Formats: sequence, structure tokens, C-alpha cells
Amino acid sequence: MDEHRLRIAPVGTPRATILFAAPLFEEANRSRRTIVRAMRALAAQGFAAVLPDLPGQNESPVALADVDLNRWQSAFAETAGETEGPIIIAALRGGALIDHQAAAAAWWRLAPVGGSSLLRTLLRARVSADREAGVTSSLDSLQEQAKSEPLLLAGNCLSPAMVASLATSEPQAVTPLRAVALGSGDEAIAGTPLWLRAEPGEDAAMADAMAADIAAWSRTCGIS
Amino acid sequence: MTEVHKVDATLRALLADVLGLGAERAAALTEDSGLFGELPEFDSMAVATVLTEMEDRLGILIDDDDVDGEIFETYGNLLRFAERKVQG
Repeated sequence: MDEHRLRIAPVGTPRATILFAAPLFEEANRSRRTIVRAMRALAAQGFAAVLPDLPGQNESPVALADVDLNRWQSAFAETAGETEGPIIIAALRGGALIDHQAAAAAWWRLAPVGGSSLLRTLLRARVSADREAGVTSSLDSLQEQAKSEPLLLAGNCLSPAMVASLATSEPQAVTPLRAVALGSGDEAIAGTPLWLRAEPGEDAAMADAMAADIAAWSRTCGIS
Repeated sequence: MTEVHKVDATLRALLADVLGLGAERAAALTEDSGLFGELPEFDSMAVATVLTEMEDRLGILIDDDDVDGEIFETYGNLLRFAERKVQG
């Protein structure tokens, strides 16, 4: 694969590798700084942490309009195949839609989301921008248009196959899995949904909480 | 907590999350507080995110034909829109 991978290594031999599946589209940019902070915190605890770009993302030579969720699922699995194990996959939001074909010792998901919810937000952003420009569009008319041609949604040029796969995609069952939400309690970590935020921010305490929860899950699974 | 207070609290928390207002600024929103066009963070992407999050957190479905520019003019307008949707 020709895409970049950010890898943060610990001092000495890694206990395991944490392979991140970042949120998708705009949510990826808003979360990236906090994910990388979590990766540094994991490296300080002896883990290697890897954040791969997928085809069509960031500086990939592939155009976003040429990919769909299937392609991302196989690319992520290929990346896992080239990564030193044992692997724990850490998926955030829409990352949970592409993490199940990879071979791993365990999975960890934060605030997993269905593809239809992500798609609705992207379509609505287009409708809202169209309205400001004096153009009338609707979720239905855009989805109809997306059946035959790529659609520009909030700066993302999405293929008919990508729109169709998002509309029906849900996180798939994987095992062993720990799924956490934001909030309080056993099945949650404290933090803010940075992936929703209009102006990108970062949350150092949340990054530390993510790293601590992943490390504890690794021990629970008997990985290290 | 009454239904109306619950919708109000949910909406304030949601705007705090999407616009990065912080709990204090979110709590200080009044009926007349301007949103779209007034808060620089409130762009078309934020409008879209707010609508989808309202659906998820309030358990409602929003038909986008019901959405016009007016509901985002003030916090009071948005709150009344949300209350109408929750009551069905």
C-alpha cells in the first residue's frame, strides 16, 4: 500500500501493537490530535501505536471518489497483516465500520456509529450549504443523484458505491470486543465528542483515559 | 425532571459539544441568543451535525422539509422546534 502510516514506538520491544481505525471524513481531522496524544501515552506504557491512512485519505495517491467501505475494509485488513502482533484494534466512530476484516487479538471501540448517521450529516451539510447559495436540494434528491454520479459532500467527493455502502453499513460483530461510550460508568470513558466539534480542539485528559482503558483491556484479554 | 427541562438540557449539552461552547456559555444561552449568523462556529456543517445529533439524543426523526433557516436564528426557536418534535 502507498499510504502513509504514523507509527509511534516505545523504548524496547513493544508489548503489543495498537492499530487505530480513525473516524471517517471530517470527523478524522477533528479527532486526530487527540488520537496521536493517546498513541504517545500508549508508547510510554510500552505499546507500539499505528495510525494508518487508507486509500483516498490524507496524502494517498488514490482519489477518494475511487473508494468505498469495502476497499477500506480490505486495506485496513492488509495493514493489519503487515503489522507486528499481537494486535489490538482501536476504532473510533466510523472506524468501527471498517475494522472487522482484519486479524487481531482483540478489538476496542469508542462511540461506534452507523454509516447512515454519518451519511445523513454529510448530506445535510450539502443541503444547508446549497440553501445558503440559493440552490434547493434535499436528502432524497441528493441520494437519488448519488446513484449515478459522484457527489461532493462537505468537501468529500463520494462515489455511488461509497454512498450506497454508507447508507446500510453498521459495525459488525468482532470478538473479544470492549465497546465504550463517552460519559461515566464501567462502559465509558470521560471526555468530549471532539469529532462533532465545528472548530477542532483536543482533549489531553481524554487521550490519557483512552490509553489507560486500552492498556487495561489488553491485560484483561491476557495479551500483555 | 420534566420533559421540557430534559429537552432543554439535552439541547444545551449538544450545542456545547458541537460548537465547543463550554458548559458556562451553553448554560447562559437565552431564548433570544442568536445562533446561525451570530456564533462564528455555527456554519453549515455545524447545522448538519446538530440535526443528526438531535435525532440521536432526543430519539426523534427530523424531516428536512421541516427545517428552514428560522429554527437556527435563536436558541428559543431551536428549543421550540425540538419540543414539537419530541411531543410528536
